[in-house]
Amino acid sequence: MSEKTPEKIKYRILRFLDVTGFTVFDPVVRLAFREEPRKQIESITKFLVVPTLFVALCVGLWWVVAPNHKTKSGEVPTPNIVFSSALINDTFSEREKTKESDFLLSGDARVQALQEVDTLMSELEAELATLKSTLTEQESLYKASLASQIDPIEEKLDALKAENRQARTDRSQSIEALSLEVASGRAPNSELVEAIRKDNELYAAGRQAENVFKDQIEAIRSDKFKPLETARLDVNAVADEIQFLKKRQAFLSDSNRSVKLEQTKDKLAAQDGKLADADDAKAVLKEAKSLVRLENGVERLETQQYASAMTIYLQIKRSLFTVFVGFLMAAAIAIPIGILCGLNKIAMACLTPIISIFKPVSPVVWLLIFQIIVGAFFPDPETHPFFLFFDSIPFINSLGINPALIFSACTVAMCAVWPALVNTALGVSSIDRDHLNVARVLRLGFWDRLTKIIIPSSLPLVFAGLRISLGVGWMVLIAAEALSSSDGLGKFVWDEYQNGSSFSFANIIYACFVVGLIGFLLDRMMIVFQRLVSFDRSESTV
Amino acid sequence: MSDERFLEISQVVKAYPNPFGEDIAVVDGFDLKIRKGEVISVIGHSGCGKSTVLTMVAGLNEITSGGIIVDGKEVSEPGPDRAVVFQAPCLLPWMTAYENVMLGVNRSYHHEPKSVRKQIVEYALSAVGLAEAMSKRPHEMSGGMQQRVGIARAIALKPKVLLLDEPFGRLDSLTRMELQDVILELLDRERITTMIITHDPDEAVFMSDRICMMTNGPGARVGELMDIEFERPRDRKEILGTDQFFEYRRRLIQFLDECEHEKEIRRELKAGPQATKDEPPSQTSEPNPESKTESRLAV
Repeated sequence: MSEKTPEKIKYRILRFLDVTGFTVFDPVVRLAFREEPRKQIESITKFLVVPTLFVALCVGLWWVVAPNHKTKSGEVPTPNIVFSSALINDTFSEREKTKESDFLLSGDARVQALQEVDTLMSELEAELATLKSTLTEQESLYKASLASQIDPIEEKLDALKAENRQARTDRSQSIEALSLEVASGRAPNSELVEAIRKDNELYAAGRQAENVFKDQIEAIRSDKFKPLETARLDVNAVADEIQFLKKRQAFLSDSNRSVKLEQTKDKLAAQDGKLADADDAKAVLKEAKSLVRLENGVERLETQQYASAMTIYLQIKRSLFTVFVGFLMAAAIAIPIGILCGLNKIAMACLTPIISIFKPVSPVVWLLIFQIIVGAFFPDPETHPFFLFFDSIPFINSLGINPALIFSACTVAMCAVWPALVNTALGVSSIDRDHLNVARVLRLGFWDRLTKIIIPSSLPLVFAGLRISLGVGWMVLIAAEALSSSDGLGKFVWDEYQNGSSFSFANIIYACFVVGLIGFLLDRMMIVFQRLVSFDRSESTV
Repeated sequence: MSDERFLEISQVVKAYPNPFGEDIAVVDGFDLKIRKGEVISVIGHSGCGKSTVLTMVAGLNEITSGGIIVDGKEVSEPGPDRAVVFQAPCLLPWMTAYENVMLGVNRSYHHEPKSVRKQIVEYALSAVGLAEAMSKRPHEMSGGMQQRVGIARAIALKPKVLLLDEPFGRLDSLTRMELQDVILELLDRERITTMIITHDPDEAVFMSDRICMMTNGPGARVGELMDIEFERPRDRKEILGTDQFFEYRRRLIQFLDECEHEKEIRRELKAGPQATKDEPPSQTSEPNPESKTESRLAV
C-alpha cells in the first residue's frame, strides 16, 4: 500500500463517522486534514453552523417566552433553571454515594472520616452564622427600603380613603333627606333614583382611585430585592450542606454498619453470659431465644447494604435495564415468528389478523392487562420460586427482578414486537429468487438454507425493524413507568409531578431531555448494528 | 447406460396456463439426446424458450409433459449432479468467494474430511483463475470475476451435467472472450457434459461440439442440429480465420433469419381473418427487436 499514514487515519475516521451516522462532521475532519478547505468551510457553514444557530435561536426563544407563562407550579423554567436542576440532581446522587461509602466504612478509616466531617461541620456552622447575620441585615435593609418606598404612598392612600369615606357618608345623608321629600311628594321619584345611581358611580370611582395606590404598593412589594434573595439562597445552601453533614455523621457513627455490628456482637457476648447465668427452665428458654435473635441480627448486618434513594442515574440504569429486557423479549418472539411468516404464506395469513388487531392497541391498555396478569401469576413475590430462582443466581440477584419490572418489560415487549415482526417477515419474504435457486441447485437442507441464506439476506431489514422496536419500546417504557410507578425515569417524572417543589417543573423538563438523549443514543446504536450487518456496504468494520 | 444418451430430453412440453384461453405451450415437443462429455449449445431468438429448457433440465422448472433423463435417472427436482451457472452470478454477498464455493461443497462432500473439501474449493477457484482472490467478497470483484466464482461453484460439485444459462450475457465482449477460454479449458480437462444457452452464433460455434437451433416460440422445438467438427483443444485465433467457421456461422444465421421470417408470416396470417380472437400474450409471441439486432451485430 502506497497510501500515506495520515490519509489512512483520515479515511478511518471518515469511515467511522459514516458507520455511526455522524456524516455531518465529515467536512470538519476533511478540513482538519486540509482537503479542499474552501469547499469544507462552505459545507460546515451550511450544515453545521446554520443548524447550531437555529437550535440556539430555539433555546433563546424558550428563554424569552418561558417566564411569561405563570402556572400553578410556578413559572415555566428557563434553560438555566433546568441546567441548575440537572446540577442539583447530580449533587444529590454524589451525596448518596458518599453516604453509602460512609455506611460501609469501618475501623480507622471511619474514625478519620468522622473527624474530617466534624471539622468541616464546625467550619460550616461558623459560616452559617455569618451568613445568617448578613441575612438579618439584608432583611432589615429591605424592610427599611420597603418602608421608605411604601410609607408615603400608604399615607396618600389613607388620606384618600378617609376622604372617600367622608364623601360617602355625606352622600348617604343627602339621599336620606331626598327620600323623605320623595315620600311626602315634594320631589319626583326619578330624582331619588338618579341620586342613588350617582352615589354608586362615585363610590366605584373612589375605589378605583384607591386601587391605583394599592397596585403601586403591591408592585413594590413583589419587586425582588436581589441582595436579600442571594443571602437567603446562600443560607439555604449552607444549611443544606450542614444537613448532609449531619447525615454523614450519623452514618459514620451510630448508623454505621461496622458500629452496629460491633454493638450487636457485644450484646451477643453479654447474652451468652446471661444464658449461662439463667437457672430455671423458663429463663433459659427466654435467653436462648434472644441469643438466636441476636445471632440472626449479626448475620443480617454483615451483608446489609446501604438503601440508596433513587437518584436520577439509578432511575436511568433501571429504565435501560427494563427496556433491554423488554426489547430482548420482543426480539426473541418477533424474529422466529417473522421468519416463519416470511417463509410460509399460511402462517402469514394466520398471523395477519392478530397483527392488525393488536398493533394499534395503546401501551396503556397493555400495561393494565399485564399488571393484572403478572399480579395474578405472582400473588406473593417474596416467596415465589420464579423470583427465588433469580435471587439465587450470583450476578442477576443484584438486578432487582420484581413483578414491576416484569410487567413493564412485558408492556415494552408487547408494543415493540410488531415492527420487528413485520420487518422480519418482509425481509425473509423478499429474498432474491436467485439466491433461493442457488440453494435449490446445491440442495441445501432447511437448516443450511435458513442460516446461510435466509437469515443473512434478511438481516438488514430485521435490524431496521429492531431499531424501530427499540425506539417504540423506550417511548412506551417511560409512559408505563409513570403510570405504574415502577422504578425508572417515568417514575422520576411522575414523582416530580406529584411532589410539586420549586424545582419539580425544571426536573421534569430535565428528565425530558435525558429521555430524549438516551433514546437518540439507543437509535444510533441500532444504526451502527444495522450498518455492520448490511452486506451491500463495503467493509463496514472500523 | 449408453454414453450416447447420457442426457436425454424427450418430447418435453412446457405450458403456462392462460386465464383467457387454452394453455400456452412455450416449448412443445423438445427432443434432444446428448452424448457423455459433449458440449452442446442451444441457440435461438430471445424468448423462444431456451432458458425454459435449461431450467427444466436443472429441475428448477416443472415439466408439463415428456421427460428428461440424466445418466439413467429421471429429473424431478434440482440437484448437485446438474450444476447451473446463471446469467447473473448469484453469489451470496455476505460470503467470500471461498465461502460461496464451499457452501455447495460442504453439502455434496459432507462425508469427506475438511482438508479434502478445502482442497476441492481451492482447486475449483484456481481453475477459474481466482487463486489470488479467494477471500474477496462479491462487491469487491468485477462482474467477470463474480461469474468466475459462479463457474467455480458449479464445477466444484463435479457435476454430471454442467448447465450454462447465457453465462456471459451480462459481460462486456473482452471479458466474455476471456471467460469462454476459461470454460473451454476447463471442459477440455474435465470432459463434463455441458449445455450452453446462448444467442451469440460466434460463441456457439467456438465453444460447442454440436449446436441445437431452436425454432421460435410459442411451441418452440428443435429446428436443426449442426455438428461442429473442430478439433479440441481449440484455439480462438486459428478457428476464427477458417472458412469452415464462416460456413457454420452462415448456416446458423440463415436458420435464425428463417425463423424470424416464418414468424412474420405466422403473424400476418393471424392478423387476417381472426385477428381479434385468441391473441396469445405478447411476451411469448412478439419477437424482441433488440435481440434481433443483437444477434446481427454479433455476426
